[in-house]
Amino acid sequence: MAIVAQHSKFSKIAMPVLAWVVALIFFFPIFYMLLTSFKTDADAVKPEFLFSFTPTLENYTNMTDNYDYWRFASNSVITSVSATIFALVVGVPCAYAMAFDPSRGTKDILMWMLSTKMLPAAAVLYPMIFLTKSIGLFDTHFLVIMVLSLINLPIVIWMLFTYFKDIPKDIIEAGKMDGLNTWGEIKEILIPLAWGGIASTALLTFIFCWNEAYWTVRLTTIDAATLSKLIEGNRAPEGLFFGRLSAVSTAAVGPIVVLGWFCQKQLVQGLTFGAVK
Amino acid sequence: MSNRTIPRLLQTPAVLLLLFWMLVPLGMTLFFSFIRYFLNNTRRPEWTSPSIDNWRGFGNYQYVWNQDAFWLAIQNSLLIVCSILFLTVALGIAIAVLINRSFPGRGIVRVLLISPFFVMPAVNAVLWINMLLDPVLGLQGIAVANINDVILGLRDAPLVGGFFSLWPKFEPISFRATQTSAYAVIMMVTWQWTPFAVLIFMTSLQSEDQQQKEAAVLDGAGAWSQFRFLTLPHLGRPIAIVVMIQAIFHLSLYAEIEIVSRGNGNKNLPYYIGELVNNNIGAASATGIFAVILANIVAIFLLRMVGKTLME
Repeated sequence: MAIVAQHSKFSKIAMPVLAWVVALIFFFPIFYMLLTSFKTDADAVKPEFLFSFTPTLENYTNMTDNYDYWRFASNSVITSVSATIFALVVGVPCAYAMAFDPSRGTKDILMWMLSTKMLPAAAVLYPMIFLTKSIGLFDTHFLVIMVLSLINLPIVIWMLFTYFKDIPKDIIEAGKMDGLNTWGEIKEILIPLAWGGIASTALLTFIFCWNEAYWTVRLTTIDAATLSKLIEGNRAPEGLFFGRLSAVSTAAVGPIVVLGWFCQKQLVQGLTFGAVK
Repeated sequence: MSNRTIPRLLQTPAVLLLLFWMLVPLGMTLFFSFIRYFLNNTRRPEWTSPSIDNWRGFGNYQYVWNQDAFWLAIQNSLLIVCSILFLTVALGIAIAVLINRSFPGRGIVRVLLISPFFVMPAVNAVLWINMLLDPVLGLQGIAVANINDVILGLRDAPLVGGFFSLWPKFEPISFRATQTSAYAVIMMVTWQWTPFAVLIFMTSLQSEDQQQKEAAVLDGAGAWSQFRFLTLPHLGRPIAIVVMIQAIFHLSLYAEIEIVSRGNGNKNLPYYIGELVNNNIGAASATGIFAVILANIVAIFLLRMVGKTLME
């Protein structure tokens, strides 16, 4: 094993140490936020309590009173889950057709879809507010769900397409021979085979929906407002309420970060966007 | 039914939805950009409703074109996007190579590294600008104060005291100031998106041809030339993907800009439009059309880069 002998002492010891240091630096801001969330607002700004302090759960127990956290959180869950499901329902058949029955226009359609993602949202902000207010959709769950799924649809289709493309066509053809119709092919063959890709697409879409902070902030006021709106609307003036702000921030990103940890392998699998063969 | 009907039908909902999502607001923006349209105008109340009678031709475009703030916003947009792209790709490659080989705790390192990617932009900005970068109460302020204290103490020390008394007192940097706020945005977004680059590069490195590498080693290739002539070309396609996806997201940055300094010094194009929308819809729409043109220039370039590899 020439390659193993090649590795110097440096790469055997220094590289893992360096990797650990880099990882801890990257994680530190999140750790610091978590730490601050257990301090009282007064302690949070005192340097002498930086790492040694009396932990308190006060910020979390008061979260409902201070921020009405649960309403925003449930809005986030409802809209993100629904938008993800809707985007998949529209995206899977589309990607299926593009991957297994490509025509000459398929590539152009895909490119066009991606290019809609590049339209600056700000350019159409006012018409959207104007339109949705005039037809009474402003600040509704329905609107947020539609917007979230539409802005993510191009990426959903692209990810699914690159994933489906690697499935041998013969397997799908075999299904046709067995007398399956299109729906049967999707349900019986494609979905079980591409389950990994579909799951990782769903995960990434869910994360993007949960974290979206442009439309969800600007097209809602109260009823359909999500956690992004809660954080952006309640950021305290400098130095005030670091403790409670950390607590509500931790509660806003916690579910997604933990979900991401558990599904990391799954996510990596689908995240290549066809970049890795 | 012909062979082609079913595939077309399956694509129809997605195509129609995206077409509607693109054309309706864009059409309205185009219309507004050619009329005088203000939300509040007591002197000319007829301008407060969108009507073809208030036609202004290219007046809004001319107005925006002559605003210094518009050009500053374009400059800032490009500065922010290009800096983030460069930093995330460079850091991403370095970290991916660093964790490519197995070592104790690699799984945990990966989990820690990827975490920032899941943090929502609003929380990211609030966390960085308040708790990390604040010149007095944030970690930066605390760190600078501590360093100053240590230096002050060392001034009385024997031997080295003379050396340290030459040192200046360090001043913490305020990242809400006009000159620095764009760097705060670059810093926090780089922190969040480097993990994304790492993920993609890491996956790509795992598919690298090990035999080719061993052959290179036998031929006497050093670590650097292995990286330069084997690894880097192998990463070409993933780099294209990372650049494209990030460009999509960062051209429309908003929450970070708003939270860091309310656009003071770091105003990008979306933020500039957001400010105009408070009253001058005509000018905001004209700026929007400029933004669409800019995005299309970027898009043509990026899609060419990625498109070649898409259908293989």
